[in-house]
Amino acid sequence: MSTYGELRRAADAAWAPLANPPRALIKVGVATCSRAVGAEETLAAVRAEVAARGLEADVMLTGCWGLCYAEPIVEIHPPQADRQAPVLYQRVTADKVPALLDQAFTGPGVSAEYTLAVVGEQGLAGVPPLAALDFFRIQVRRLMANCGVTDPENIDHYIARGGYEGLSKALTLGPERVIKELLDSGLWGRGGAAFPTGRKWDFLRGSARKPKYMICNADEGDPGSFVNRNLMESDPHLIVEGMIIGGLATEADYGYIYIRDEYPLPVARMRRAIEQAREKGLLGKDILGSGEAGPTGGGFAFDLEVVRGAGSYVCGEETGLIASLEDRRGMPKIRPPFPAQAGVFAQPSNVNNVESYANAPLVLRHGADWWSNVGSENHKGTKMFSLSGQVQRAGVLEAPLGTKMSDVVMVAGGGPPEGRRLKAVQPGGPLSGIIPASDVDIPLEPEPFRERGMFMGSGGLVVIDDSNCILDLCIYFEWFAEDESCGRCTTCFAGTRRMLEILRRISSGRGRAADLELIRLLGEIARNANCVHGQAAPTAVMSMFRFFDDELQEHLVRRRCPAKACRGLIRYEVARQSERLPLAEEICPTRAVVHENGSYRIDQEKCVRCDACREQAPYAIAVVDEFGP
Amino acid sequence: MFSQASHNSRLAAVAPLAGSAGLSARVQELINDLRPDHADLLTALHRIQHEYGYVPPEAVPLLAGQFNTTPAIVFGTIDFYSEVRTAPPAEEVVEWCSGPACLLKGSLRIRRALEAELGCGMNEATGDGRWELRLVQCDGTCHLAPLLRHRGRYLGPLSTSEAIRFARALKGPAQAAPAPEPPGEPGT
Repeated sequence: MSTYGELRRAADAAWAPLANPPRALIKVGVATCSRAVGAEETLAAVRAEVAARGLEADVMLTGCWGLCYAEPIVEIHPPQADRQAPVLYQRVTADKVPALLDQAFTGPGVSAEYTLAVVGEQGLAGVPPLAALDFFRIQVRRLMANCGVTDPENIDHYIARGGYEGLSKALTLGPERVIKELLDSGLWGRGGAAFPTGRKWDFLRGSARKPKYMICNADEGDPGSFVNRNLMESDPHLIVEGMIIGGLATEADYGYIYIRDEYPLPVARMRRAIEQAREKGLLGKDILGSGEAGPTGGGFAFDLEVVRGAGSYVCGEETGLIASLEDRRGMPKIRPPFPAQAGVFAQPSNVNNVESYANAPLVLRHGADWWSNVGSENHKGTKMFSLSGQVQRAGVLEAPLGTKMSDVVMVAGGGPPEGRRLKAVQPGGPLSGIIPASDVDIPLEPEPFRERGMFMGSGGLVVIDDSNCILDLCIYFEWFAEDESCGRCTTCFAGTRRMLEILRRISSGRGRAADLELIRLLGEIARNANCVHGQAAPTAVMSMFRFFDDELQEHLVRRRCPAKACRGLIRYEVARQSERLPLAEEICPTRAVVHENGSYRIDQEKCVRCDACREQAPYAIAVVDEFGP
Repeated sequence: MFSQASHNSRLAAVAPLAGSAGLSARVQELINDLRPDHADLLTALHRIQHEYGYVPPEAVPLLAGQFNTTPAIVFGTIDFYSEVRTAPPAEEVVEWCSGPACLLKGSLRIRRALEAELGCGMNEATGDGRWELRLVQCDGTCHLAPLLRHRGRYLGPLSTSEAIRFARALKGPAQAAPAPEPPGEPGT
């Protein structure tokens, strides 16, 4: 069995020509977000063009930088003789590949049309270095150090950049000192509950019954959160290594990585990473030449498997996830017993989030002191965040805990589109609450959220601006909670349904004064649900009560939606005749735009308020309040 | 818990549906290597759905046999997961993202337009089985919000008009829609 040193030497040899390419190197990032805009076609086009032109260049697949807004991204390293830093090009769809290669290889050497940034310290010909981009300058990239840089399907790239060094150290340290290192680092669970990872591992270690299981919760079900997805498809070995270290520290025998059904690419890449780790002797028996495991041998044996979910949000709750692994309905149960006592198949188990496991190799590789040298006073390390919604630059980034939320939303994300005003931020999932714009400067760590009756959650920041209606959004959150309720507790499955009915009533102009008290009561009752899904279901609605009361009252009392989003409170009307109205008539899916006696009107019985007519004839068609101004 | 014997005697009562011998043999082949208490049932469901586009009812007793449990437990599990289908998909499935980024950018308007244009509600198919609207969860491709997916392709960011034109192109020129009744209650 190879030792770590042998693995590293082989990996260095494989990575060296890509780190300092002797001839030109073209990297194309392929991940879920870039695939959606044609990155695979771009990669194929690059390969075809390079072959057709006989270019002296290598082509390589990489993961994702997190710059969703600029995908597909192509990175070109000029031949070494040029001594020029590699350049990132943005929005390179397959049709733009010939022009890009023309300019980068035969023309000026840099294609000004598509440049995004220079990968290096210095800018180049007016192109800024990557670290100077607004999206990058607030970041500290540790978990994401390999994202966009290495080929996620090649274990050698990971090893050459320090991968599995943490595992190698952990094998020398032994379980007790690994856990101590984690406790010293101050790493807590990144899935939302913020429980110290070292303590959780210590619980499992203390359980004597065998077999023991390590479980990775990759069921990133929070809509608008995609940090785990990005990491799994850009650097899967970081998670594999973290789980092996966890297995070593807790003396566990086997691990499951539970990935949601909506993530086919992460499933494929994690499975591939596991196979490669097994081939290299990093999984299985006698890991890294540690000897035979068992009562007499002191060696370490561990193996892993990916389980693909099937579309259930509550399977992201650890007991629901365990039930799902047990071939049953994924319904959460009451704790205790905690997983460390009786988890999957009633055996001792440990459940951690993807990002929690991914931090373990860094703690071991660089030591707890290094790991905790960023972050706020009470919360060390970095956290990944995803940005979406009304934001100019959607993507995934990594920043120290305690970073101001405004740095992420307004600086990195660029805030709402031109001319709109920030209204609120959903910090991490539909159960996490709604932070008003006035609080956008709070640090990203658990306490400020807890003080406001909310949760920081798992890092999916969804940005809301003044074109959006908070009630509309709360209806969505409540619908989501109701739709995904497992059905066990009446407080949850019936409570969320009743809450949804009341909110919809208000949004259609039939709200009653007593409704507010009913909602408050339902919010109180929900806290008695057995699991966090039911308990947290009313969080967003309670945030609305606290921070957006004016807007709620406007709906309830004046029967008016300020953002003109609530379908029951608006009406489309022909405000003036226009030559574009025939287009409106043509597009209307219900034939509600009626042409009679030389003029147009809207048949209110048929209109579904889909807005298509106004898109066609914006000056002729107006949205007015159904119940008057 | 039931003993092994009681399981098998229960299963014996569930006769395979007539004319489904070929299907049953194939399903059994797909799940033969899977074991109870090894987190394998989801794998079985994925394999069957990959083969048939859904999990046919004939598969339920076979799964129960393979996983040492009852058809009721297996069906309950299948029913729990929204991505496991119990009926074959329509010819053309239009996937509508229900996520928050899409919502904030007008996905509900697109939904209402598509329901009217295609003549079916969300998670329903048209009577002739040609089109189906399917609600899907956010997969984090929010830079394309509001988006639809069709045959694995992402369409977005879409205006309502673009979504309507997409639906019309899907239906083809022969299918000029008779104006359907507007759906009643607004649904999220």
